[in-house]
Amino acid sequence: METFDADVVIVGAGGAGLRAAIAVAEADPALVVALVSKVYPMRSHTVAAEGGAAAVTQANDSLEAHFHDTVAGGDWLCEQDVVEYFVAHAHEEMVQMEHWGCPWSRKADGHVNVRAFGGMKIERTWFAADKSGFHMLHTLFQTSIRYPAIRRFDEHFCVDLVVEDGRVQGVVAVEIASGDFRLIRAAAVIIATGGAGRVFRENTNGGIVTGDGMALAYRHGVPLRDMEFVQYHPTCMPGTGLLFTEACRGEGGFLLNKDGYRYLQDYGLGPAEPSPRNKAMELGPRDRLSQAYWHEQQKGRTIRGPHGECVHLDLRHLGEAKLRERLPQIYELALEYLGVDPATAPIPVLPAVHYTMGGILADGSTASPLAGLYSVGECSSVGIHGANRLGSNSLTELIVFGKVAGVEAASYARSVPKLRATGAIGTLAEESRRRALSVATREGGGERIATLRREMAQSMEEGCGIYRTGAAMQATCDKLAQLKERYKRLHVDDRSKGWNTEWLLGIELGYLLDVAQAMTHSALERRESRGSHQRLDGFGERDDANFLRHSLAWYAGDAPPRVTYGPVKITRSPPGRRAYGAAGEQAEAAAHNVQASVDV
Amino acid sequence: MSRNAGAGRAYVRPMRGWWRRNPFFVRYMLREATAVAVAVYAIVLATGVVRLAQGEASWNGWLEALRSPWSLLMHLVLLAAMIVHAKSWFEIMPKTMPMIFIGGRRLAAATITRTGWGATIAVSVALFALALVFSR
Amino acid sequence: MSESATTIRIDVLRYRPEQEDEPVWQSYIVPYADDMSVLQALQHVKDEQDGTLGFRWSCRMAICGSCGMMVNGKPALSCKTFLRDLQPGPVRIEALAHFPIERDLIVSVDPFVRKLEGIKPYLVPRKPRSLADGEYLQTPAELERYEQFASCINCMLCYAACPQYGLDPGFTGPGVLALLHRYNADSRDGGRAERMQIVNAEEGVWACTAVGYCSEVCPKHVDPANAVNQNKVNSATDYFLRFLSPRGGRT
Repeated sequence: METFDADVVIVGAGGAGLRAAIAVAEADPALVVALVSKVYPMRSHTVAAEGGAAAVTQANDSLEAHFHDTVAGGDWLCEQDVVEYFVAHAHEEMVQMEHWGCPWSRKADGHVNVRAFGGMKIERTWFAADKSGFHMLHTLFQTSIRYPAIRRFDEHFCVDLVVEDGRVQGVVAVEIASGDFRLIRAAAVIIATGGAGRVFRENTNGGIVTGDGMALAYRHGVPLRDMEFVQYHPTCMPGTGLLFTEACRGEGGFLLNKDGYRYLQDYGLGPAEPSPRNKAMELGPRDRLSQAYWHEQQKGRTIRGPHGECVHLDLRHLGEAKLRERLPQIYELALEYLGVDPATAPIPVLPAVHYTMGGILADGSTASPLAGLYSVGECSSVGIHGANRLGSNSLTELIVFGKVAGVEAASYARSVPKLRATGAIGTLAEESRRRALSVATREGGGERIATLRREMAQSMEEGCGIYRTGAAMQATCDKLAQLKERYKRLHVDDRSKGWNTEWLLGIELGYLLDVAQAMTHSALERRESRGSHQRLDGFGERDDANFLRHSLAWYAGDAPPRVTYGPVKITRSPPGRRAYGAAGEQAEAAAHNVQASVDV
Repeated sequence: MSRNAGAGRAYVRPMRGWWRRNPFFVRYMLREATAVAVAVYAIVLATGVVRLAQGEASWNGWLEALRSPWSLLMHLVLLAAMIVHAKSWFEIMPKTMPMIFIGGRRLAAATITRTGWGATIAVSVALFALALVFSR
Repeated sequence: MSESATTIRIDVLRYRPEQEDEPVWQSYIVPYADDMSVLQALQHVKDEQDGTLGFRWSCRMAICGSCGMMVNGKPALSCKTFLRDLQPGPVRIEALAHFPIERDLIVSVDPFVRKLEGIKPYLVPRKPRSLADGEYLQTPAELERYEQFASCINCMLCYAACPQYGLDPGFTGPGVLALLHRYNADSRDGGRAERMQIVNAEEGVWACTAVGYCSEVCPKHVDPANAVNQNKVNSATDYFLRFLSPRGGRT
């Protein structure tokens, strides 16, 4: 097997992976960074993010406010010291992006503009039209070209980590075009492979978001944290699941049920006012909005469409000019995919899976329990999102923690002795190759990839939906175990060596099934409702006494995963009630009065 | 970044006959061909200048040749080609110019095209009027 | 539009170098629905009928740039091309024109990426600024000068549209030149002089004959034809100014 020696390997070249690569190159230009990605970097799913990236900017804003919004948004399951670091370094990283050329939208005076976003008390979301992720990704990719230390392995599919002697020693990847395997050795490995939304039927994600890195770390004994928390984005396209950005609501869009009524006011987010108000109505947090949709559906107040029940996102009152200027991509999406002109008709939308809050266990420096292994971005659980992520926090996460991961990995790589070529590593790599190839060469198999994938996705939607019951979750757990058995009899049509995309889909299916198991078993064990994990079977309330803890899912091969719990770091914000709308304002006023009386 | 050639050879498709495969390309080739018409007419006019320099008899001979039926037919074809030439070039002209802002608004491509036509028609009318005046 | 259409035929140009020397057409019948895209049709074939069919895709919303291919002879993104507009079929699908086919609908992308890397596609700041000083100021008008050229998703449809590129793959090409222009036109950038060499080259803007089809097919309205052709003036000016000043050109 061809071998390449590096100091740091980064798997995944999206926003987080690219930022980490640049950070390594800047920390020490003498280090060699191997950037491995199964797609060309500009195809990474960061590209589809639309709304923006949050950072405290305005004079009337504060790190305290961003901190509280994030922790409350996460229903107090956040690692508060990590959140403190995050909010404190957000602005600096955003300015760095601007210095690298990111075309942020501007105010008339030339300063960067910020807009309102769900769950945020003050406007702090930087945006580049409605293509923020696209512009961030392309800026990072193009900037990364400046650093000769970054050696890219485009269209190389990572099939395994090499772990020996209790440390990570590199990765094994397939050059997709040729089918040749490569061993890329390095002392430090950063996983930046994104989320796992494709385990669900309706999702906003691209085809590549299959939890690859999560599964690889998981299979090597690294626990996956808080996997039960999956975000349903409230405004997605029926049928495809494609995203209509939260910015639609930030600019003033309304959500209407079949009676043309702004139903969110019935769910503690009101009162309804004509213009957008932060943390109220359509600018409430995503989990609340998706839950409101579910309730409306139960009451029969949603609209029947060709792809199921939906509600209406009404942007008509914004007018065509403003729509074309602020939300041009949304305009085109609605028009071309749905035949709906948002200036004259409401857009049918429904919640679809969008983001994986949980992921590889990572501490504040992005390190995992496995020596030399780091993780960053949606694939990791560094602790800032908790039970529900606020919109525009994740693009910022990529660059704040991308830098941290790069710096830490560089420092680690320099500190450990240079790897010697050992026979053991070569043997492990051959094992990885054999295992990967075996997915395509199962004889006597009759199961099609698409069939297993569809059944998994359907089951996940039923068991791990917006509202969950023990019975449904258990049924999904059983189904997944069955699917893993049937996976052993996978049939792959394609027998070619080069460009065997079907074989790779088969490997991805394996990743998806493992991650789905971690999600479902973690969900079953959490007998409370918190953030995006809501239960209807008697565990409908938050239970801080028993469950103010992170779940940890541990891989157990063919057996279902073991779920244990770990503590949550609380520093400045003791668990409170999440209050939005008028209730939120009252709560804030009361807290302010308490503070004032204390100050006296 | 290294990349092997793949398990097989990449296949390169031939370009022969490329412009016949798409109406857009056919129109493009027509546009390019009208440049020939412009060249032909330039030669006609240049010949006229030479004949003028050679004296009145030569000049009248050239004018007589222009009045022949074949010459009239050729001139009609050339005129049609020149109009296509002008049309296609005015269409592509906005592509050759940087963004123009007037009063904070960006000048649309259609405006540039129309301005080209407007100027052409105005100049043509003026020249025609001038020719009429001088022919009296 | 036929109300009774429940299926549609798609003809795909297959190429499996391990099996055949030349590409060969293969037909499939797929279910038809009003809102189905060409991509969904291809996914149906791969999922249910023939897993060996190879094609790139990801985002499904015309922003990742993966799924470019020829649909009925025209460059298109398969995720944004709908079967309802191609009725009654058959729909002819082949790999993006002017690129070597590696497999089925998958073309060689590396040469394009190398060209992109070669133009200094990053901000070379005109004036240095520390992070503590905050962002560079840039007015909405200044942003407008380059924003459309920054919207290129690298889908390469413009290369499939460009006959000059098809005849000479050494041509830098519309997409990469548009990106080059994006940086030159950014008020924060001062790297124009360094990029002129690429603009001025024979394989730079001068290989373009203003066919204009690239801008026609661009799914993001980048208008690469404009980016390339307005730089012909810049290139010529740069050439003549070289005679006036020792270093030549503008900085």
